Amino acid sequence: MFRYLASASAMALMTNGPVFAQEHDHDHEDVTLYRVFVGDHADAKVTAFDLTEPDRRWTFDTTGQSKLYAVDNGSAVVAVQSNDDAVHFFTSGISLHAHGDHADIEVTEPAAIDQSLTGPRPFHVIDHDGKVVINFDRGGYAEIIDGHELSHGELESTQLKQARAHHGYAAPIGDLWVTSVASDAPVEGDAAPSRVGLQAINADGAPAGDVATCTGIHGEAFSGAFLATGCDEGVLTVSDGSDGPIMKMLEYPDDLPTGESTGTLLGSKSMQVFLGNYGAKGLVVIDPVDEPHFRYVELPFRRVDFVLDAANARFGYVLTEDGSLHQLDLLNAEVTKSAKITEPYSMDGDWNDPRPRLAMAGDEIVMSDPNAGLVRRISSESLEEVGTVEVEGQPYNIAVAGGSGVDHGAEADEHEHEAHDHAHSHDHDSKIYQGYFDDAQIAERQLSDWAGDWQSVYPLLQDGVLDPVMEHKAENGDQSAEEYRAYYEIGYKTDIDRITIEGDAVTFYQAGKPLAAQYASDGFEVLTYAKGNRGVRFIFEKTGGDEAAPRFIQFSDHAIAPQDAGHYHLYWGDDRAALLEEVTNWPTYYPSSLDGAQIVKEMIAH
Amino acid sequence: MKDWLTRIAAWSAIAISAGSALHAEPLKVVATFSILGDFAAEVGGERIALRTLVGPDSDAHVYEPRPSDAIALARADVILTNGLEFEGFMSRLIAASGTEAPITVLTEGVESMEEPGGGHYHYVDGRAIFHAGAHDPHAWQSATNAKVYVGNIAAAFCAADASGCQSYEANAAAYLADLDALDGEIRSAIAALPGDRRTVVVAHNAFRYFETAYGVTFLSPQGVSTESEAAAADVAGLIRQIRETGAGAIFAENISDTRLLEQIGREAGMALAGTLYSDALSGPEGPASTYLAMMRHNTAALATALAIQ
Repeated sequence: MFRYLASASAMALMTNGPVFAQEHDHDHEDVTLYRVFVGDHADAKVTAFDLTEPDRRWTFDTTGQSKLYAVDNGSAVVAVQSNDDAVHFFTSGISLHAHGDHADIEVTEPAAIDQSLTGPRPFHVIDHDGKVVINFDRGGYAEIIDGHELSHGELESTQLKQARAHHGYAAPIGDLWVTSVASDAPVEGDAAPSRVGLQAINADGAPAGDVATCTGIHGEAFSGAFLATGCDEGVLTVSDGSDGPIMKMLEYPDDLPTGESTGTLLGSKSMQVFLGNYGAKGLVVIDPVDEPHFRYVELPFRRVDFVLDAANARFGYVLTEDGSLHQLDLLNAEVTKSAKITEPYSMDGDWNDPRPRLAMAGDEIVMSDPNAGLVRRISSESLEEVGTVEVEGQPYNIAVAGGSGVDHGAEADEHEHEAHDHAHSHDHDSKIYQGYFDDAQIAERQLSDWAGDWQSVYPLLQDGVLDPVMEHKAENGDQSAEEYRAYYEIGYKTDIDRITIEGDAVTFYQAGKPLAAQYASDGFEVLTYAKGNRGVRFIFEKTGGDEAAPRFIQFSDHAIAPQDAGHYHLYWGDDRAALLEEVTNWPTYYPSSLDGAQIVKEMIAH
Repeated sequence: MKDWLTRIAAWSAIAISAGSALHAEPLKVVATFSILGDFAAEVGGERIALRTLVGPDSDAHVYEPRPSDAIALARADVILTNGLEFEGFMSRLIAASGTEAPITVLTEGVESMEEPGGGHYHYVDGRAIFHAGAHDPHAWQSATNAKVYVGNIAAAFCAADASGCQSYEANAAAYLADLDALDGEIRSAIAALPGDRRTVVVAHNAFRYFETAYGVTFLSPQGVSTESEAAAADVAGLIRQIRETGAGAIFAENISDTRLLEQIGREAGMALAGTLYSDALSGPEGPASTYLAMMRHNTAALATALAIQ
């Protein structure tokens, strides 16, 4: 695993009013990274590169030409090879997890997933509600893939049966599914059956409702509470209701040009709105709730490809065959800006001829330009080209993974470590240390992990010995040293200034007076904190000793499996459950053998 | 309700018919949810044209913003939000709208409470959804805090429309007196209850400010385990807590379905004692169509349930 150290900026873990008892402010990196996956038009290969450092590049072999989809929030990429009956999968190497006020980003190399799918003509892909659903148009089924497992490089799938094979899709709605439905009229040879509507079905394929008419059903997208799908008579919307999916046909209004329909749809992720084509030269902004449901935008030329702006829901972008890119304002349903960015690509000929494809990467539009052998980077604000990336062959279908986030796994700046002549007293995985781990990584620990003679750091805080630590936090954080001191004043506060642990005996010293008791393991509890990170409390219950000694003690030291502690936070009391809710006061202990200066050094180095 | 273009056009129509003759253009105000909308209407009176995004009986946590919301923000003079990460949809909506209106955070000046588990649970369609946040956003559940909201609204309106300032301040002063009276009513209603009858159960922990201000303890499933296991794991703990504390009643909430509460009620041997209004007002025909009515309804529901031995 390698990391991107560019654009590193120190960011304190704590924001205003922290509630989490994390004792250290690790320096974090704010990382923005977009990774572009491009499928070649002619050759069976997919090229991936990092947008701003395109020399970081990987090539993957496939069976045939791939249409690419970034799924599961960009953690994985699906390569659908319709003409070659194959689907390959890649982990993008970038995972993003939203945590309220920020996102976390994790970056590794992209990799091909060993397992793949084969089957008759895979086509439409839907990524919704943790499921990636691929329709096999000549198989009469859809494969449902677990998105989370896919993000970990595992392919776990089940099949959803359809009544008759057709070019269609299946999508999860609440606890049920909806699937497009083909006519049961016989067809000549291997001609595809016509498509008549949409139907709710159970996971076993059994109908769960009537077929809603949607003639020629094609194209689908999710936005907000709705799925929308294109039909000859209008756009059918589907939402989850208490008695199963609710389907409603939004008919094309009279003021739209006649004889056209919507067959391709995009759904916004941050506003409940769809953008669809309307014929070859028109677009429609579709509002599933408020009227007018359709607002029509006529384009100067036929559309090559279009995309919605993930960063600013107001805008979409559309490339027309004259080689112009247009910025579309969805709120006002108008083209607000246009710029010529490539040579013309006529829409005459086959739909699958090599033509540009668009994708978004933050505030840039990335566009494959097969004839030029380039991926172009275009500013979404100005529509000016900000760069090009050469890609061998004919770059065609394109998908982008990535975004911005905080890299919790990043180590603090190397020079800082050196400057403080720091040596870790315990060997920890920094991600676990930050509170990001899987349950399977947690293991029981024995009291011996905390054996030793320990001092409270609260007196050091009170005496001002820890002032340099607070200054250091203030320099790298968003609060003043005074605010940090106030925070730690609450966190460290205790009158137990020394603890010794030997065998099963724990002795608490309160103003020099000992209180001794024996403890045995009582398991552990996993806590989820405000930031979305987690911690494990290792709990020990009193088995004998002083009456006044606490019934429970709970250790928290950022480790989740057996290892000797370098320091720890200790919670104690007689109510096991109440202690778990204590997250503001976390008396903290370092080895008694360390002096104040050494503890300061340890704290700053973390 | 459907045609938002007409509705937005109606803003100016309302202005002409309802506004005073001195002001052709009312102050265009957007409030993120119904409780803030009621405060704004009290302070703004006829001088404002108000649009509330998240309507009655709706949960702001799962709200899906619409294009018409973005257009309303773009045209607004004043935007009122609760803050404390209550309106998760707002930042992207503000970005899409390109609005230049000032965003007034009404909890500014409220002494906010920390969230003990780093967040709280919402219950949507039988599923527990964790709403992460360092601070408890439901500050309006104490009438004292509501006064801070109202003061902030008056200041925002005055800043945007100086000529109406006197009117806003007069409206606010009258309403603050109502809030003082409300505060007194709640205190005496709770004080009249037997001392050992002060604990109730809710699903969504939205009443901690009420609890701190008025001394009724609200138990709810606590969020300390992982998301997928939250509902099951925490319910067991809650049942134990209910038995230990001898909680007096269990309440549904207007923004949540009752599945989880019915389960808790069954296991704890309690029937639902009624509905409390937490994050949204009722519709105009309901018992909580204004903030004052909501707080009185909640207080009466608590007092009735806890008075029964």
